[in-house]
Amino acid sequence: MSAPHERRAAITGIGVVAPNGTSTDTFWKATQEGLSVLDRVTREGCEHLPLKVAGEVRAFEPAATIEERFLVQTDRFTHFAMAAADFALDDARLGQADTSEEPYSIGVVTAAGSGGGAFGQRELQQLWGKGSRFVGPYQSIAWFYAASTGQISIRRGFKGPCSVVASDEAGGLDALAHAARAVRRGTDVIVAGSTEAPLAPYSVVCQLGYQELSCAADPSRAYRPFTEAACGFVPAEGGAMLVVEAEQAARERGADVRALVAGHAATFTGASRWAESRGGLAHAVRQALDEAGCAPEEVDVVFADALGVPEADRAEALALADALGAHGTRVPVTAPKTGIGRGYCAAPVLDTAAAVLAMEHGLIPPTPNVFDVCHDLDLVTGRARVAELRTALVLSRGLMGSNSALVLRRGAGNA
Amino acid sequence: MTAQITVEVLAALMKKAAGVTVAPDALLELGESGFDALGVDSLGLLGIVGELENTHGTPMPPDAERCKTPRQFLDLVNSTLMAGA
Repeated sequence: MSAPHERRAAITGIGVVAPNGTSTDTFWKATQEGLSVLDRVTREGCEHLPLKVAGEVRAFEPAATIEERFLVQTDRFTHFAMAAADFALDDARLGQADTSEEPYSIGVVTAAGSGGGAFGQRELQQLWGKGSRFVGPYQSIAWFYAASTGQISIRRGFKGPCSVVASDEAGGLDALAHAARAVRRGTDVIVAGSTEAPLAPYSVVCQLGYQELSCAADPSRAYRPFTEAACGFVPAEGGAMLVVEAEQAARERGADVRALVAGHAATFTGASRWAESRGGLAHAVRQALDEAGCAPEEVDVVFADALGVPEADRAEALALADALGAHGTRVPVTAPKTGIGRGYCAAPVLDTAAAVLAMEHGLIPPTPNVFDVCHDLDLVTGRARVAELRTALVLSRGLMGSNSALVLRRGAGNA
Repeated sequence: MTAQITVEVLAALMKKAAGVTVAPDALLELGESGFDALGVDSLGLLGIVGELENTHGTPMPPDAERCKTPRQFLDLVNSTLMAGA
């Protein structure tokens, strides 16, 4: 990691389409204020289902930023991805003119948990309702979990390394790490992240089988990790895309180096085996810190996975103590996702966006709806906490057993 | 049904199936770059063919989805519809 000529991977742009904001500014404002936007599920066809509360993206107009030609052939999760990629590239000040000169120097990495559920449902209803001749050809690509990577690359003309990470919810962090590795291997820029759209009837029905899903009806009580009242997680849609760029190239073009992707590791401990996730998560944290050349005491804030299942919450708190020692009970921990829900693979990418913004603002956003913490953690609740933040640790676990940890270091702007 | 497919019908189908908006009159003035230049890809054209087959209850020849220009496409589908009348 610390070779003198190592290419370091910087984050130079953030694009967010989240339940609490469809721009990075509105997302950060709501996040640092600890605003909860969890609400009753209103999506057509979902009203009668047992899932009562979710984080819906309600203020998103895809046609405002994306050409109709791309909208008709893609699902909502790809609409989010294309818009977030645009926002991130704008934020990084990488326009079409910059990227079209050397199209092979820029690629795309996304992670997706389920792909295009609403699009797929519509076309399957055509199949069973009218017959195979009434299924549109774009069904062949729109449902696919790889669609967002492909469509971003086609739409923006990016011909560099493109890939999709399929590793459960933790895949959101793995995608960012994959992007950082591509940058270290020689690609200048990777647009990386995840967006999800799991709030369509078919997709919701699929999730009802998750024993960890919260079907509580009160938005303020449905998702309260680390408390005695923890009753599962609330799903969300939306997500974020980040511009991951070679630090040197970023500095040469005068871009803001907002953070460095310093370390990452992932482990696997089996579906819903939450007690075992303790060891897997702790190992991922240790390895990520090691790769970052970072001592446990240097971690200034932890963005927790915060599943909201008592056994999983306990495992996460213990994993922090295992990996960080006494620092694990002193380091500020936050889980802003309790205000917007868990967007599967998108959740840890939104956490990463929030971590970068937190380091920039010297402000740890709080954990909405959570008060009486029943684990030995310094969980930031109520209001944001002012703190000098140089290093952030982001954690993620998936329902199928993946655990991942990402270490971010604060960037030095364009200095 | 033996109604001819007009440029207006084709323009409407292009919007519905491929999300491409173009003035009907402009369709016939396109050169050989045709559908490509408009951003109608092979799946988009396949969708247009499927819509026509469903509304007219007539299969279109395989070549329909390989047409390069709107003019070629209209000539082919209209001759197919005439032949089936």
